[in-house]
Amino acid sequence: MVYGTCPHRAAQRIAFVLLLVLHTPSFANKRHNIHAVKPHSDLQAASEDRSAEASLLEVYASIAKGQSRAALEKADKIVQQHPNFQLAQLVYGDLLAARIRPLSTLGDVPTDIAKVGAETLGELREESQKRVSAAKDRPRPGLVPSQFLKISQKTRYAIAVDTSRSRLYLFENRAGGLTLVSDYYISVGKAGVSKSTQGDQRTPLGVYYVTSNLDPKSLKDFYGSGALPINYPNMLDTKRGKTGGGIWLHGTPPNQFSRPPLATDGCLVMANPDLRHIIQTIEVGNTPVVIAPQLQWVDPGKIKQESLPFEETLQAWANAKLEGNMDRLLSFYAPDFNAYGKTRDQWAVNLKAELSKVQGHGIEIKDKSFLRWTDSTDTMVVTFGEVVVGKRTGWTKRQYWNRQGGQWKIFFEGLL
Amino acid sequence: MNHARSPASLKFRMLAILIGMACTATYADDYGDVNQLLRAGKLPEAMSRADQYLATQPKDPQMRFMKGVIQRDSGKTTEAIATFTHLTEDYPELPEPYNNLAVLYASQSQFDKARAALEMAIRTNPSYSTAHENLGDIYAKLASQAYNKALQLDTSNAVVPIKLALIREIFGSANVKGSRPTPTTQQSVTAAAPAVKPPIVVVAPLAPPVAAPPKPVASSLAAPVVSAPASPPAPPVASKAPVEKATSPTTDVASSIHEKEVETAVGKWASAWSARDVKSYLAAYGKDFDPPGSVSRKTWEEERTQRIVSKASISVKVDKLVVNVVGNHAVAKFRQSYKAGGLAISSHKTLDFSKINDHWQIVKETVVN
Repeated sequence: MVYGTCPHRAAQRIAFVLLLVLHTPSFANKRHNIHAVKPHSDLQAASEDRSAEASLLEVYASIAKGQSRAALEKADKIVQQHPNFQLAQLVYGDLLAARIRPLSTLGDVPTDIAKVGAETLGELREESQKRVSAAKDRPRPGLVPSQFLKISQKTRYAIAVDTSRSRLYLFENRAGGLTLVSDYYISVGKAGVSKSTQGDQRTPLGVYYVTSNLDPKSLKDFYGSGALPINYPNMLDTKRGKTGGGIWLHGTPPNQFSRPPLATDGCLVMANPDLRHIIQTIEVGNTPVVIAPQLQWVDPGKIKQESLPFEETLQAWANAKLEGNMDRLLSFYAPDFNAYGKTRDQWAVNLKAELSKVQGHGIEIKDKSFLRWTDSTDTMVVTFGEVVVGKRTGWTKRQYWNRQGGQWKIFFEGLL
Repeated sequence: MNHARSPASLKFRMLAILIGMACTATYADDYGDVNQLLRAGKLPEAMSRADQYLATQPKDPQMRFMKGVIQRDSGKTTEAIATFTHLTEDYPELPEPYNNLAVLYASQSQFDKARAALEMAIRTNPSYSTAHENLGDIYAKLASQAYNKALQLDTSNAVVPIKLALIREIFGSANVKGSRPTPTTQQSVTAAAPAVKPPIVVVAPLAPPVAAPPKPVASSLAAPVVSAPASPPAPPVASKAPVEKATSPTTDVASSIHEKEVETAVGKWASAWSARDVKSYLAAYGKDFDPPGSVSRKTWEEERTQRIVSKASISVKVDKLVVNVVGNHAVAKFRQSYKAGGLAISSHKTLDFSKINDHWQIVKETVVN
C-alpha cells in the first residue's frame, strides 16, 4: 500500500497525540465504566439519539487501540449525522489527514487554517479535553453531590452541574434515593462562573430551581431546542446584592452541535438532543439545579446523618408554630430576615395571623427537601408542604436558612 | 468454455490465448480507432464508432469504458457516471472504472462518493497508483473540508471541485487489447484482462531469467487484474523479477560503475522533481518511456507538468536504493518519500533504465506494493 503504508503507525501517532492532549492514558480500558451505571444506558436507549458524544468517545477508543480505519468510519458516521458537531469534524479531519501525513496534535490543521481559526481550535481542544475527562473520571456509583442533603419523594428529578468539568448530571429520585441516570457536556459563561452583576457574562453558582419551560417556537434559533429558566437571582443572591437575570438552560443554534466550554453570556447551554431529553424528563418548578464550581460526591447515608441536626431544628420551628409560642417561633427568624421587602417585625404580623388560623388544629410538615449551599456562608434551602391537620390541602413553602454562630436562622420564607 | 475449470490449465491457457489473439486481431482496430478519434477530439465520431461496436458486443468492458471516457469528455457527466457504475457492477474486480467514477464525483464536489469509489479501486488492486494518488488528493480535500467545518471557516472553497487523474483505457498499457467478455463472469475477466501480450506469456516460462527482459508490457500500473486461473509459473506480474536475479553472480567493476551512474540518474531525477524543474524532470524519461494509464507521451507530460507546477513545494527523498544493471538495462528499486503541501506519500518505486547515447534514461516507472 502506498498511503496506508503505515495505518498502524499513523494510528499510533494519533493515539499518542490524543493521549498527550487529553491525558487519558488508560482511557480505552475505562470505557466500560461509562456504562457502569445501568439506568444511564436504559434511558439513553429510550430517548432520541443522544449518543453523539458516546460515538465520539468510541472514535477515540478506536484510535487508542490503533484502529485508524474503524475510527475513520465511525467519525464519518458522526459527521454525517451531525455535520455541525465541530469537534467531531475536527477529529474526522485528523483521521483523514492521518492517511496522508503524520499528525502531531489533535486538530493538526494546516498552518494557514490554524492561523485563521486559532481561537476556535483552542476551544475545540478544550471541549475535547472536558468530554474525555468527564467520561474518564466518573462519579462513583451510588454517590451524590453533597448539596442534595434531603430530596423529597415528591421531587422526581434533580440536576447538578459541575462547571469545572463542563458537565451536567441528571438524577432520578427513586425509592432507593437519588440515582445518576445520565450526564451531559455543558457550556457556561464566557467569563466563567460566580455571577454577581448584570452583563458580567458569568454563570451563577448556587442552588436553583427550574421555574418554567419556554416554548421553543417562541424562541430565536439561537436557543435551539428550548429553554428552561432558573430562579437566579435566588434569595441568597438577592441578599448578597447580586444583579442580572434571565439565566436559562438552553440549546444550541443550528450551526453548532455544541458550544465551547466557556461560551455563553451566563446561561447553561447543552446540545439540542440533550436538552430535549432534559425538557421531556424533568418537572418544572420541582427540579432543583445545583450549579457548583466543583461537585463533592458523597455517600447518601453519610449526609443523612449530617442532615439530622438541621432536621431537628426544623422540627423545633414547626413545634413552636404548633404550640402557638410566638416568641419561640420568632427566635428562628434572623434579624436580617427579608421576605419580598418584609422585615422580621413585619413578618411577625403575618405569622401571628397564620397562628390564629391554625390554633387548635395542629400542622403537619411533609415532603421536606433540604439543599445545602456552602461557600463563604452556610445556607439551607428548604422546601416543604405545610398542611393544617384535618384539611386536605395546604401550602408549599420555601425557606432560606443560614447558619449564624452555630444556629440555623431563617432569612427568607415564602409560599410557592 | 467448460475448460475453465479443468486442471489441464496449460492447454486451456493456450486456447485462451489463441482466442485472445483472435479477439485482439479482430477488435484491435476498433479500440485503436475510437482512441484515435477521442484523442483528436472528434467526440461524436468516437461515440458513434463505440456505439456501433457495442451494438454487437454490448458487454465489452474496454469499449464500454472508452464510451464512458467519451461521455465524460463530452461533458455528459451523468451518463458517464452511469456507464462506469454499470461497469463496476458487471466487473467489480476492475479498478479503473472506480477510479474514473471518483474523477467524476470529485468534479461534482461529491468527495465522499469519490473517496468510496477510490477505496474500492484500491481494494480491488492495492498497487493501483493512480487511484492511490487520487485518493490522497481526496483525503486531503475531505480533511480540509472537515477542518473548515470544525473551525467554522468560510467553506465556499470547500465545494470547489477537484481534478483527479482520469484513466483513459482499461488495463493500463495502450498496447493491450481487451477481448470480448465470455458468458461466465470468471472467465470473461480472464479473457478480458490479458495484461500481458499473449506471445510473451507463452515465452516467459521458457526464457532463462538472465535474458534481457523484453520490455515488460505488463507495465500497467493497473496491474493485471487476474492472473490466469491455476496458472503455471511466471505470472505476468513477475516481469521485474528476472532482472534482479541476474546481477549477483557477476558483479564486476564495470557493472559497479554502471550502478553508480544509475544511482546518480535516480538522484538527478528526484532532485529535478523536488526542485519542480519540470524540464529536467521530463528529460530524465527516455523516448521509449511508456506512460502509465495508456495516455500519449504528450498527455502524460502535460499531466505531470500540471501536477508538479501546481504544488507550492515538493520534496522527494530516495531511500534504500538498490540498483541492478544488466547490459544496457538497469532496474532501480527504492523507497520514495514524496511530500507536497499537506500530502506525504511513502511508496516503493521501481524505475527501469536503458542506456541510450551513453545516458541512463527512464523507460518505465512502477509503484510496487
